[in-house]
Amino acid sequence: MAARGVRVVNRLGLHARAAARLVRTASAFRSSIRLERADRSASADAKSILSVLMLAASRGTELRVEAEGEDEEAALEAVCGLIEKGFGEEEA
Amino acid sequence: MSRRKGKRESRWRGVAVSDGAAAGRILRIHVGAREDIYRVALEPPEVEREVTRYRAAVRLSRRQLLALKKRAERALGDEHGYIFDAHLLMLEDRKLNEEVESVIRAELVNAEWAVKVITDRVLAVYEEIKDDYLRERSSDIEDVTRRLLVALSGESMSGRRLTQDACLVAEELLPSTIAELDFTHVKAIATDVGGWTSHTAIIARGLGIPAVVGLRDFYRQARTGDTVVVDARKGEVVLHPTPATFEQYRSDSSAASPARARVVPAEELRAPLKTKDGAEILLRANVELPVEYDWVARYGARGIGLYRSEFLMSHRGELPGEDEQCAAYEELARVAGRDGVTVRLFDLGGDKLFPAGMETGEERNPALGLRAIRLCLRREQLLRTQVRAILRAAARGPIDIVLPMISDLTDVRRTRAVIEEERARLGDEGKEVGAVRVGAMIEVPSAVLVADWLAREVDFFSLGTNDLVQYTLAVDRGNDEVADWFRTLHPAVLQSVGRALEAAARAGIPSNVCGEMAATPAYAVVLVGLGARELSMAPPSIPRVRRTLAGVEASEAERLARECLGCATADDVEELVRTRLGGLWPHLFPPETLPPPKTRG
Repeated sequence: MAARGVRVVNRLGLHARAAARLVRTASAFRSSIRLERADRSASADAKSILSVLMLAASRGTELRVEAEGEDEEAALEAVCGLIEKGFGEEEA
Repeated sequence: MSRRKGKRESRWRGVAVSDGAAAGRILRIHVGAREDIYRVALEPPEVEREVTRYRAAVRLSRRQLLALKKRAERALGDEHGYIFDAHLLMLEDRKLNEEVESVIRAELVNAEWAVKVITDRVLAVYEEIKDDYLRERSSDIEDVTRRLLVALSGESMSGRRLTQDACLVAEELLPSTIAELDFTHVKAIATDVGGWTSHTAIIARGLGIPAVVGLRDFYRQARTGDTVVVDARKGEVVLHPTPATFEQYRSDSSAASPARARVVPAEELRAPLKTKDGAEILLRANVELPVEYDWVARYGARGIGLYRSEFLMSHRGELPGEDEQCAAYEELARVAGRDGVTVRLFDLGGDKLFPAGMETGEERNPALGLRAIRLCLRREQLLRTQVRAILRAAARGPIDIVLPMISDLTDVRRTRAVIEEERARLGDEGKEVGAVRVGAMIEVPSAVLVADWLAREVDFFSLGTNDLVQYTLAVDRGNDEVADWFRTLHPAVLQSVGRALEAAARAGIPSNVCGEMAATPAYAVVLVGLGARELSMAPPSIPRVRRTLAGVEASEAERLARECLGCATADDVEELVRTRLGGLWPHLFPPETLPPPKTRG
């Protein structure tokens, strides 16, 4: 299993559009991918948009991303990269 | 006015497509109501069928969303497609689908109830979210839920009866949606998509309803029951107006009430219309909905110059059969009286609607695709049924047929052959048929260029100026990004109109200008100058155009038109029209009725 912490940096947090990108990205990998709030109050399946939305991760939320499977390293990289880069959204 | 906590006033700019302003409560038009969901207990053997039904509803919703996403991307850019991407992902969500199916199986309940149970649970979590922006996103879940529920019910996305006055807010109102509503209760319309010539706009103007379109993301922010001001004078929508804003709007409205309310005596409306120098002009009605039928007489229209028959299609995409269509055309002939009705054959396909089961594959350029007469000729049974219905109805009153989107004389010949075959067949069946004249819509540049050839083989021309502008200038009329390029007074458009009118005159056939252009007094003067003697428009526009044309000299209009034809740019034409009209007929065109001079950066 590969895991690391990441922080939500984009202004609007994991809103529908960002969540959609995250789910699309995660779904491209074979590994199972979980997102968990660093305070352990909630966790989500990164391949389910409802699950991701219900994390209610606003800007500044600390998350722990875990990937498990044959492509876990690449999956972790892709998902964390997306979150760290603010989903490519312009900052306002 | 009560304002809930956190509902701050916000202003949205869009494109005003009609006149006036209204305030009221929002009714979001999308899909069926969540409140109406019922619980039905199932017998164990029914469970698998229910799961299958649920899966079919998911597939149907998915198809709708894919289409919406495509349209949003085309109209607003890829950014907007993401919204629907999120909706699509929700539909594909294993968690959602597994949970819904497990509720159906475990609790032995209908799919609607299961969807409600699961999505209520999700929404409850959302209510707890502290972040305002994220909490707002519950609207996405609500949207998807409603779409699913409507798909399950087998009903339309809109099929809702208006029982009290409301301001309609929608992503986009389709002709079928609009067709179902009770207009007496519509106070205003605000939509995310659309432009000056979208169906929403045309209908709003026709009905005298304030409408602002192109609001981009307003629909998702608005909630049914929210207070709103829709100001089509400024192209602005104010959500949750403060009491001060509300008062401001109210005093503005009472001060300047547009000419709409002016009453014209009926005899005056029915007298023949002549310009001051004696040119006779016929004003006819454009009609699509039954609610408009009464207006033909009320506004003194000389019959119906354009009936958009695709409005016979139901919201489920079903076209009525021959008998039902025949009855509809007979009714129209009765409404039109001795001046008759011109029925445009189904202008379906492309970016417009497709009849159920006739969807073609994805088209890269729907406006240039299998639509209008092309679709009629390709799906010949559609054409034959309509032609038979019209021929039969024509036995009861004067009806003409006009062929939409003619780009080549061959289209006319092929359609005429079908008409003659059906006439002969109806004769063999012992059914009574009437004489119909067959005309061509001139709305494609190629038709303008071969207008002389067309004029020899049709009985009349109808100039559809909306499409003519779109195709001549290569500007999508529904795309607000390129609205600045949609210039009705472009010299190329005026040359095309002039050319088509001349070709008709040379061949000795009448021609009718039936686009939105005819309904705007300043443009109507230019059209008369170009030689138009028959204009067709939304009936409420008739009194205004009538008053204008009765006060001008056709000879002066001709001089103005000639000058316009010599202009290099749309800006030049607009400036010329603005100064000449105001100079020649200041009583008809006071400065405030003319567009302000362009200040272009």
